[in-house]
This record gives sequence, structure tokens and C-alpha cells, in this order.
Amino acid sequence: MIELEAITKTFTNGPEKVDVLKNIHLTIEEGEFIAIMGPSGSGKSTLMNIIGFLDRPSSGRYFLNGKEMKNMTDQELARIRNRTIGFVFQQFHLLPRLTALKNVELPLIYAGVKKRERLERAKEALEKVGLAERIDYLPNKLSGGQKQRVAIARAIVNHPQIILADEPTGALDSKTSAQIMELFTKLNREEGTTIVVVTHERGVAAYADRIVYVKDGKITQDGSESTPGGGIK
Amino acid sequence: MSILENIKIALSSIMVHKMRSFLTMLGIIIGISSVIFIVALGQGGTEQLKSLFVGPGNTISLTYLPSEEEIQKNPELLWSPFTEEDIRAIESIPEVLQVVASNEYFGTLRYREKQEDVYIAGINQAYIEVNELNVASGRNLLSSDFLGARRTAVINAASAEEFFGDKNPLGEIIYLDSQPFEVVGVLEKPEGLFAAFDTFTVYIPWETLRAITGDRNISTITIQAKNTEDLQTAGEKAARLLNQIHGTDEAYQVLNMEQIAEGLGQITGIMTMIIGSIAGISLLVGGIGVMNIMLVSVTERTREIGIRMALGATRGQILLQFLIESITLTLIGGIIGIILGMIGATIVSAFIGFSLTVSLPVILIGVGFSMLIGIVFGILPANKASNLDPIESLRYE
Ligand SMILES: Nc1ncnc2c1ncn2[C@@H]1O[C@H](COP(=O)(O)OP(=O)(O)O)[C@@H](O)[C@H]1O
Ligand SMILES: [Mg+2]
Repeated sequence: MIELEAITKTFTNGPEKVDVLKNIHLTIEEGEFIAIMGPSGSGKSTLMNIIGFLDRPSSGRYFLNGKEMKNMTDQELARIRNRTIGFVFQQFHLLPRLTALKNVELPLIYAGVKKRERLERAKEALEKVGLAERIDYLPNKLSGGQKQRVAIARAIVNHPQIILADEPTGALDSKTSAQIMELFTKLNREEGTTIVVVTHERGVAAYADRIVYVKDGKITQDGSESTPGGGIK
Repeated sequence: MSILENIKIALSSIMVHKMRSFLTMLGIIIGISSVIFIVALGQGGTEQLKSLFVGPGNTISLTYLPSEEEIQKNPELLWSPFTEEDIRAIESIPEVLQVVASNEYFGTLRYREKQEDVYIAGINQAYIEVNELNVASGRNLLSSDFLGARRTAVINAASAEEFFGDKNPLGEIIYLDSQPFEVVGVLEKPEGLFAAFDTFTVYIPWETLRAITGDRNISTITIQAKNTEDLQTAGEKAARLLNQIHGTDEAYQVLNMEQIAEGLGQITGIMTMIIGSIAGISLLVGGIGVMNIMLVSVTERTREIGIRMALGATRGQILLQFLIESITLTLIGGIIGIILGMIGATIVSAFIGFSLTVSLPVILIGVGFSMLIGIVFGILPANKASNLDPIESLRYE
């Protein structure tokens, strides 16, 4: 479903050029649960942003469901971010002035879903993450774990094929982290959603079926070496 | 993403920064309210000016403006340009409804020991109706007064106050140039702009004046036409007729309405220029304020923009969001401005006493203008927002 071929990403900081991603080859099949691990600054987020259509690679080819990104307009990229991909960030990225429900409604608004259906689907998504009782809360009245669950509800509300989570547990304690990872696992097992999680915690990565190691902008190891039934204990 | 959703977002972000939004709107409020104020007063003023020239009740005045030669040829006309026969002749013109005639001059009014110069107007009956002379007490001059050349007089409010104070003038005998007259009516106090210029005036039947003094003179003739459109024609026909009767060339003239219209057009044009510059400057300043605050808003909300883009907002949708926000801002300012302008114009027009015209087109212009400013000055910030890079925006602190 996702195919990256010789992807590079170069940032220009004034006169100096930094190659953040170097010749990345990566294929992800539908329904996979993947963890991307690697030290800080190794290029994990940059890679996720490209996979998530938030950024374009400097060179190389990226196919999603057989369609190449290079040929897509900004509008098509926006549509894919809206329908095909759900993003979950370490910093939650909820809009502070909107209630949990309104935050979850946002992708539906951009999808042009009518008000009544929007409300229903947003509530349903919040129920799935166990926040049915908090729909009218503003983000600053929610705990870190609850915020991240709102963000996950927002990511899944449009029933995306793929969920991309960039260090989703980075700001959470280990118990809450486990709850979040179990939520991803459930989505993966029950709804067949493809899940890609970036983390530098082994315990978090252990929920995945396959771990890809990134170092210095290169994939150094790629395999299904997770311990079955593993987790943060 | 519907317009309504965008308006909701806009209103909530305006409400979060109430003071800032209000200060931003101030320029727009001042600009739009001055437009509404001046346009409303300008229209009222133009109506007033028109009525000054055109005269009350669809009338036009004939004037006797002889050249040197004509004065020499007909010296007696200078003292008595119009005659009773002239009136009858003009009345036979089909377009003419009636002819208002008067002989007006300064004379003395004496009541008991008090004596003052007053304006004495020997009038015909049409004069009363056309000039809307309404009595506050007593009665007006009647047909019998005119036909019988009675010694009856109607005095204006200023004279009543001056000569009689708190006393009731009705039935009292006054002396006009030593001739006794009975006061039968007192006119209403005039209102508005010209109230202060209410000079002492006494109205008596023209026939009485003629009978007493032997003065057959008629100093002013005003023609009332049956239809407004025929006014100019009626006036011109009358002037031609009088020139024919008196054997003059162009001594009898009628005010040219087209020239007046042109003159009014110039006044209106100057007014429009003044309006234009006041409105233009304050709206420009206001618009720049809006642009400035919208740029600040875009910068402050960079992260929000990044999040919206990550969730699937297109650049067009972001552009629209911020454009609607700036339009909402200027429109609220515009509506406040329209209300303030109308209040201001109402107050001022009440003071100077002419009717105010706040027409629907004026309001629509106000609304349209404020929206246009929102678009013009909102497009740059909105464009900036929509061109933000999603990743850079998400990382923005
Ligand atoms: N917009 C950018 N401009 C310049 N350098 C960047 C930019 N984004 C990321 N980098 C650099 O690229 C490297 C990889 O960053 P990132 O992908 O965020 O790493 P990770 O997520 O693995 O910690 C870092 O050295 C970072 O400083
Ligand atoms: Mg990162």
C-alpha cells in the first residue's frame, strides 16, 4: 500500500545542506502495525511527515495505493490527509478553543459532512476511545492521556486506511502509554487499520508486529522481531 | 466547509480578542459612519436647497429683469412690472393651475404706543394656499376679505409676540401706514432652519391695499403648474406672454430649472468629493488596521493553521477562513458605523430642521463598502495563511 523508493530529504539551512533522509526504501502493507525506532534527530519525524503527505521528499518516489505523490496537486494531498490518513502527534495538537467534540468534528467539516452526521460520527469516535463522558470538555480540562485519546478519535473519525502516530506516548506516563498503545492495537486488530508508530521506547515498539530502525537518515534494520504479547509492564 | 462554519470561527476569534477587535474596527466604524452621516445629511440638504429654488407647492417665479434700453423704453414698468390683467392672461395658459401674486413692501405698524417697521404683504388668495400660511389662532383671510377689500390682517407669530406679548391680538385694531386694520388671525411659528429669520410680517388682501393706496402694483408673480413636468413650460409660456403684452423683448424671465439643476449638481459634486475623501482616508486607515491585525492573527494562529492542514484543510479553505474573518470584522464595524451615522444624522437634522434621508441604498452602500474593505485588506493575510507550509506551521512555537 505504501511504497517508498529511494526517498531523500535535504534541508537547506542557509549555506549548509543537511541530508536528513538518505535513500529510504520502505514498503508497508495494508493492515500492518509498524513501529519506527531510532535516536533523536535520526529523521523519524521527517519520514513520517512524508508518509503522511505533510511534506514532499527531495527526491525518490512515493506511491500510495499505486498512485505517485509527485503527480498530485496540493488539493489532492489535502484530500488524502483528510480521508486516507489519520495523524496523531506527540503534542496532541488539539485546537485549544474547541471542545473535544468540536476537535473531533474538524476532519469531517473539511470532508464536507453534514452537521447531523458529523455529530453522530464524532460522538461515536469519542466513545471508541472511551471519552463519551468528556465530549464537551475543552482540551485544558483534560489530562494528557485524555487529550491523546481525543486526538486519536479525531484521527479515526474519517475511517482512514492508515494512522500515523509520531511519538504518541512521548508526553505520557507508562500506564497511560499502555492504554494508548492498546487502543492502537485494538484498531489494528478489529478494524484492520494500518498503524505506523514512531517511538524510542522499546516497550511501546513491542506492541508492533514489525520494527524499522532508522539511524542518521538511513534504515538500518527492518524486521518482525517484536516479542508477541509484549508491552510495557 | 460551509460559510456558516467559517463565520462561527471568525466570531469566536473576534470574541476572544474583544478589545483588539474593537480597536481594529474603529477606523471602519468612523469611516462608514461618516459616509452614512454625510450622505444622509447631503441628501436632506439637497432636498432643502431644491425646495428653496423651486418654491413650495410646485411653483416657479417670474422675474422682471429689463435691460437698459427696455428701462428707457418702458420706465413705468420698473415700478409696476405686473398687472391684474397679466394675472388673468397667465391663468388662461392651460398648464397653469393658479397664479400667486403679491405686492410686498416695508411700512410701519402701530399698535397703541408701539410702532415698528414691518413687512407688509398685499396678497391674493392663492398665496395663502401655495405658501402654506396656517393660522395658529383666529382665522385666515377668506374670499370675502379679498372680494370685499376688507381691512383685515393676519400677522405672523413674531409680530404677535412683539406687539401684543401675552395679550390676545385677535380683534385688535392695528395701523398699517396709519390705516386701521383688524387682526383676524395669527400664523403658526415656523420651524427649522429659517425659524430665526421670521421677520415681522403682516398679510392683508391685495384688493384692500389697492383700494386704500390706489397702488395697483404687483411686485411678485409665482405660477403654480398643474403637473410638475409642466412647470418649466408653464413658466416659459407665461414669460413669453408677458413680453408680448408689455412689448418687451426678454424683460420677463423665468428661472431656468436646468441651470438650477446644474448648480445643484455642482454642489452635490463638491459634497461627494468631500465625502469621498473623508470616507476614503478613514476607510484606508481602517483597512490597513484590519490588514495589520489579520497578519498578527495569522502569525498567532500559525500552529492552528498547521493542524487544520494536517486534518485535511485545503489552501482554499484556509484562505476562505481568514478572508471571512476579516470580512466579518469589517462588516461588524460597518454595521456599527451605519447605526452611529444614522443616529448622528438624525440628531443633527433634528437641530437644523430638515428632513433626513437614510435610504436603503445608502445602507447597502455602507454594508457593501465594509465588506469590500474586508476583502481587499483581508486578501493579503489570508493568502499568507493559505501559503504556510503545514510542517513549518505545526512546529511553530
Ligand atoms: N525544516 C527543517 N530545516 C532544517 N533542518 C531540519 C528541519 N526539520 C528537521 N530538521 C533536522 O533534521 C533532522 C531530523 O529531524 P527529525 O526528523 O525531527 O528527527 P527525529 O524525529 O528522528 O527526532 C534533525 O537534525 C533536525 O534538526
Ligand atoms: Mg521526531
